[in-house]
Parts: sequence; C-alpha cells; structure tokens
Amino acid sequence: MVEPKLYRSVIEDVINDVRDIFLDDGVDEQVLMELKTLWENKLMQSRAVDGFHSEEQQLLLQVQQQHQPQQQQHHHHHHHQQAQPQQTVPQQAQTQQVLIPASQQAAAPQVIVPDSKLIQHMNASNMSAAATAATLALPAGVTPVQQILTNSGQLLQVVRAANGAQYIFQPQQSVVLQQQVIPQMQPGGVQAPVIQQVLAPLPGGISPQTGVIIQPQQILFTGNKTQVIPTTVATPTPAQAQITATGQQQPQAQPAQQQAPLVLQVDGTGDTSSEEDEDEEEDYDDDEEEDKEKDGAEDGQVEEEPLNSEDDVSDEEGQELFDTENVVVCQYDKIHRSKNKWKFHLKDGIMNLNGRDYIFSKAIGDAEW
Amino acid sequence: MAYQLYRNTTLGNSLQESLDELIQSQQITPQLALQVLLQFDKAINSALAQRVRNRVNFRGSLNTYRFCDNVWTFVLNDVEFREVTELIKVDKVKIVACDGKSKYSSNYCESKATSNLVFCWCLFV
Repeated sequence: MVEPKLYRSVIEDVINDVRDIFLDDGVDEQVLMELKTLWENKLMQSRAVDGFHSEEQQLLLQVQQQHQPQQQQHHHHHHHQQAQPQQTVPQQAQTQQVLIPASQQAAAPQVIVPDSKLIQHMNASNMSAAATAATLALPAGVTPVQQILTNSGQLLQVVRAANGAQYIFQPQQSVVLQQQVIPQMQPGGVQAPVIQQVLAPLPGGISPQTGVIIQPQQILFTGNKTQVIPTTVATPTPAQAQITATGQQQPQAQPAQQQAPLVLQVDGTGDTSSEEDEDEEEDYDDDEEEDKEKDGAEDGQVEEEPLNSEDDVSDEEGQELFDTENVVVCQYDKIHRSKNKWKFHLKDGIMNLNGRDYIFSKAIGDAEW
Repeated sequence: MAYQLYRNTTLGNSLQESLDELIQSQQITPQLALQVLLQFDKAINSALAQRVRNRVNFRGSLNTYRFCDNVWTFVLNDVEFREVTELIKVDKVKIVACDGKSKYSSNYCESKATSNLVFCWCLFV
C-alpha cells in the first residue's frame, strides 16, 4: 500500500535537493515552487487521494464543488478587487481569460469553471500558463483553454489534452461564453502567436458535445484598437466546420467552409468508410487504398474488405493502448524457473494496478507459463 | 548512479510532465530538468530502500518473459496480488525488474522500463 506520506516525503526531498541546482542555474525560487505545485497537482489528479496543504488545493476543492455556471462579470469584478495575500498584482496588461462555464450535467464531459479567486490567484502570482492549468485540476482529459498575457505581452497557451490537441468541450446546455477584450495593449506591433478563444454564443448548428480545436493565430495591434484575427476553430464533428471569428471587437463565431474539399467517390459503393465525412482527407486516402486492393481482386469480392486484413494474429494490442496498463516497476532478487513453473523474488517495487499505486519492499510470486 | 527505473511511475511521470511544461514555457533548461530527474532517481531509490517495509505476494499465469541486458520483463495474466490488508486482481500486468544486486546497469534498466527497446547503448555519465 502506498502511504501518501512517502510520496510527500520524496517530493520534499527532491525539491530541497534541487533547490541548489536551481539557484546555481540562476533560476528563481518561484519556478521551483511552481514545479512542486505542478507535480503535486498531477499526483492529485491521478490518484485523487490526499490533499496537500497548499492554497491552490483548497481553492481547487472549492472549484470542484461548484458546478454551476457563474456570471462572468461578477468574476471580473472580483478579478480586479481581490488580491491574494502573498502576492501582488504587478501586471500592466490585463490578462485575457477564457472562462468556460461548467456543465451541470454529469453525463457529458464537464468543464469546470475556474473560480474567480482562482483566476485572480493565477494572475496575481504570474504563474505560467502551465501551472494555472494544473491548478484547475480538471477531470482527466479535459482541460481549460486559457491564455495568460504576462507583462511582456507573451501569450502563453495552456491547453492539455490526451492526444496533445487542444479541445474545448461544450456542455450540453447552450454555451454561454463571454469574451474579455484585451484592454490597454501596447500598440506598436506586439505580435505573438496566440491562442485566442472566441467567446460567443455559438450557433445552434454546432452539436453540443463537439470538441473544438483551436489553433493559434496572430493578433495585430493597431493603435489602440485591438483587432482580433480570427482563430480557426475546427471541430472534429462530422461536418468539420470551422468557426472563424471576424476581426471585429466583437468577434462572432461562424461556421465556415469545410477544410477539405468535398470529394465524390466515383468508384462505386462497397467500401466500409463511414458515411459521415468525419475526416475527409483521411477517408479519401483510405478509399484510394481500398480501391486499389479491390481492383487487384476479382469482381466478385467487392463485399470483402481490405484483403488480408484479418490474417494478422495480433496479440491483443488494443489492450496495450488501454488507459491503465498495470505496471510493476521493481528490482529482482531472484528469478527461478522449474520446467514451466516460475518463481519471482522481487523487491523495492512500485505498482500501478487498476489505476492505483502500491509500493512494496518485497514481493514473492508464482506463475505458470 | 541510481536506477532510472522509477521514472515511469505515477510519481516519476508527473515529475517529467511538470518539467516538460516548464521547459515549454522556457522557465528552465532541459539540462536543469535532467538534473532534477537524476536527483529524483536518487531520492526514490533511497526512499524505497529505507522507508518501505511491506510484503506482497502474487500469483498468476505467465504470458511472456524476456531477459535482456539484465532486465526481466514479464507479462502475467489473471494475477492476484495479496497483501495482508487487501487483495487486488488484474487481468494483465507487466512487470519490469532490474537487477537488485548490481547497480551498474542503470541506463539499460531505464530504457527497458520506459521504452522496451531491444537494444540500447550505454552512456556513462
């Protein structure tokens, strides 16, 4: 069994040991604290066991308990007034926040609205985007898309998803998104690759549970006016519609044309590609390959799908891609075999079984091959 | 040189991810991150050796075994892990074990544990 204390003590030891290395490298202590925070948060997310005695965690708990969409303006008000005890708010430029209302339904993947205090805290502490994402501690696979504009005008993207893409999941209810225009941006061409979310009530054409991919665009600042270059938002829905915002101060999300040109299949039916144009280009390539194979075959085999596709005896590779691969990482004292009877003498191991962590100093096992 | 074996654990992976994020935002250098990981190796190795004192038994059927570069990799099916307090059953488990006696093959062990490469080269730092 794992005692949380053990993990805690390891973290403490590591952090303390590397403090010198950090200082030698000229890295600020705050970065070290950020590392610790990130680390602890990730642990929390994965195990959902202990609480840490840090502020972020308490705020986190508050956030997680609030599943109601909150008024943004109220938050903004909070945003300006609240000051965290430990840190000041030295920022010259306001940060642009993307606040996603939480879904009230448990069925759909939920996006938890970060509490205003949390936002403020993140702004105040000048934490990096990554840290703020970590502190939000959303359920696995769902993270907020958030941009934080630091003093230097450097926009940091905070997005994490399982496959590295950036997603926003819209709750089943109508999306209530608001936008906060970046005020007081320094004119003079502050350009940086930016991920900017266009917050606007999305048209009903977008199905509720679509994921939205946001790709970075650039923001050009002309004078005092901030002109928002539209962000291309691609949904992985069948239509693969793009939402592009017009470059007004009130950008509106509109479904644009599809990314790939619609390709008509002229070689007849009989392929297994899905009717939905989920990913047009990929389907097109698959169709090509399948068609070539079919051409090689006889006419009577139109129904059979890619030849030789079932010849491989793959050994349950799907399971390897499974979420929780049960792994034991350890050292061996002695491995013994007698005919097909194996005996294992292991030590100092960390196990991850069914999603949970266990530790042992000694393990003895038997197995038949 | 402590085993880098434990980097592929919840604790180790969360540390690596955190370091990656800091590198992404350019708050630390990759070199520094490497130093942190090396320190983590030492810390976790010593913590396991000194602060953990419990025993586990397990039984199952052996699906595959591999011994390469002094690293054993097993895949067991239908395994029961038994501790005094509880019983844990899994359909499939992978066990990666480095030599408990010799600590000099740490780099091999790390690559086995994390990437399961058949061959690797050894860098003595």
